[in-house]
Amino acid sequence: MIELRNVQKLYRSGGEKLPILRGVNLHVEKGEYVAIMGKSGSGKSTLLNLLGTLDVLDSGEYELAGQAVHRMGKGKRAALRNEKIGFVFQQFQLIPNMSVYQNVLLPLTYGQKRWSGKRAKVLHLLKEVGLFHKRNQKPSRLSGGEKQRVAIARALVNEPDLILADEPTGSLDEETTENVLQLMEQVHADGATVIMITHDLEVAKRAERILLLKNGMLKEMANEAAYGI
Amino acid sequence: MKLLTGFKLAWLGLWANRLRVLFAMFGVVIGMFSVIVLASISIGVKDTLLKQMGGLGAEQILVIPGRVLDTMSGQKDLLSGLTSVPSTLTYEDAKEAEKVENVRSVTPHLETVTTIQSGEGKEAKKLQSVLVGTTDQYSRVQHAELAEGRFFTKKEQETKAKVVVLGSNIHDGLLGKESTSEATQTPGHPAPEPWWKRLFSALTAQKASAQKQEASLVGKEVAINNEKYKVIGVLSPNAALGSSTDNNVVMPINTALQETGMKNLNKIIVEADSTETIDQVDSDVFAAIKTHHKDIDYSVVKQEQMLEALNKVTTILQAMLAGITVTALIISGTGIMNVMVMSVRERTREIGIRKALGATTFEVMLQFFFETLLLCVLGGLIGLGIGYLFIELWNHNISVFSLVLPLWAVKLALYSSLGVGTLFGIYPALKAARMNPSKALRFE
Ligand SMILES: Nc1ncnc2c1ncn2[C@@H]1O[C@H](COP(=O)(O)OP(=O)(O)OP(=O)(O)O)[C@@H](O)[C@H]1O
Ligand SMILES: [Mg+2]
Repeated sequence: MIELRNVQKLYRSGGEKLPILRGVNLHVEKGEYVAIMGKSGSGKSTLLNLLGTLDVLDSGEYELAGQAVHRMGKGKRAALRNEKIGFVFQQFQLIPNMSVYQNVLLPLTYGQKRWSGKRAKVLHLLKEVGLFHKRNQKPSRLSGGEKQRVAIARALVNEPDLILADEPTGSLDEETTENVLQLMEQVHADGATVIMITHDLEVAKRAERILLLKNGMLKEMANEAAYGI
Repeated sequence: MKLLTGFKLAWLGLWANRLRVLFAMFGVVIGMFSVIVLASISIGVKDTLLKQMGGLGAEQILVIPGRVLDTMSGQKDLLSGLTSVPSTLTYEDAKEAEKVENVRSVTPHLETVTTIQSGEGKEAKKLQSVLVGTTDQYSRVQHAELAEGRFFTKKEQETKAKVVVLGSNIHDGLLGKESTSEATQTPGHPAPEPWWKRLFSALTAQKASAQKQEASLVGKEVAINNEKYKVIGVLSPNAALGSSTDNNVVMPINTALQETGMKNLNKIIVEADSTETIDQVDSDVFAAIKTHHKDIDYSVVKQEQMLEALNKVTTILQAMLAGITVTALIISGTGIMNVMVMSVRERTREIGIRKALGATTFEVMLQFFFETLLLCVLGGLIGLGIGYLFIELWNHNISVFSLVLPLWAVKLALYSSLGVGTLFGIYPALKAARMNPSKALRFE
């Protein structure tokens, strides 16, 4: 599903070059559930944005579902995002002035694919995440857990093969974390590939595989002690 | 992508930010409103002036006191070249003009202010009026219609008969009736009925029929300067800008000359047989009057020259209109662009989210472009609506001159708001579309 080869990414700030990713290699099979851990500022979000084609890498190669993303233009990448990827963020990233229903519907209004029964699809997903009764509310009236469930519904509405979650439980308490994790597991069980960033080892352990981003490199995390160092 | 989707997204985007949208639209609304109202004023003024000058037919010429100076290009300039001097025109001049070949009629016009009185003692009513001394041709040449009674005859004119025809305001005033035209409304009169009431009574024609049954002064006597005159007719109301006959008291020229002791006329209207002879009549009348004058202290003006002056006025009005339109458009356009740029900045995260969900650069651009466009067109439509309402209200309440809303002004307003939306929508749309999604998502 995903193949990263020697991927490098640096940011320029004030003429200075800040290398964040210094040669990341990653192989993820279709249908895998992978957690990525790492210290704050280690470049986890940067890596996830690259995987999500929101940003471009400086060097190296990125293949997603057999397509060479590093050679794609903006338009192609947008289409790829729309068709194959669903995002879940720590800050939920719902559009504040739009209702829950409109937020979930949004991915279906973009892209080339013609969806039939959009409305039914959105309402079905809202039922799945238990927010059907709040479909006409603005996001500001929802709790953190509810917001994240809306975001998950939105990530799933275009039936993506890949779910990219950047600390989806980072702003939630234990109970709602559990709720969100169960939803992720269900998505995974339904066949999607899931890559999740987290600070929380307990959360990471729910995945099939844990990777550690450190010094701009990605390593398989052998044991818990490795994370502490 | 599908244009319709872009349009729908823009609509949703506007709706979601409706408060800001309202403020942004304000400029366009005001701009379009002023364009509409100014256009209709300029057209209204032009129409009214044309109607009044239409009083001077193509086969008529006007002899007025004072000399219209020639401009550098040798043209007579009625606007700036008209000198104001005391009149030296006399009834003899008019008689001289009558002898000119191809002249159909000559109508002298003597005007002065006087007090007219009806009734005696306690019931006496006094009014200020404009005394007009003229000939039996007056009603035809001035297009003054009679509401009742008759006009004086040539015979009455020659015999200096003491007869008068009253303007409608004078007639109503002497009868103690409320003035029907607020153009001549004097303070102290009770307020006029609200426009909707008058509209209603105009529709049902109740007032008009009620008025007909009321008293009339025709056949009765009035006094001017302690002399008694018989009222033989009443003129129909004709409120107009500047030259209404409503406050006139019209009497034969000979009577007026004798009773006022005045010698000089305010103007003489000469009518040619046809438009073909107008140029010959023009120069011959000029020459005929010259025999009694040492200097050229009078002018002969044709309709053509009046129209020229009129065109100058409307050209100035239109230039003003164009200037104000452009200013309004630039101000409202930059205002909208500012609001949209701010909106784009504030909605940076939203743009990031949309891109993360698969919106292409073009789709984002289209959405914000349509938002600006819709904003402008909506503002234009609202301004148009308010302008239309204003014009309707004006026309129902103010009769001095009516406003005309020309189709071209409606089109101008709509096209220009579309143009403004397009022009000033490009920059914010590009700004939104160019955003890097990963950075936009980080935006606080
Ligand atoms: N657009 C940018 N320009 C310059 N520097 C950036 C930019 N984006 C990120 N960085 C820097 O790159 C580094 C990695 O950022 P990133 O957000 O990927 O870290 P992270 O591992 O997700 O951290 P956290 O756990 O706190 O979310 C940080 O030091 C950050 O300041
Ligand atoms: Mg991060």
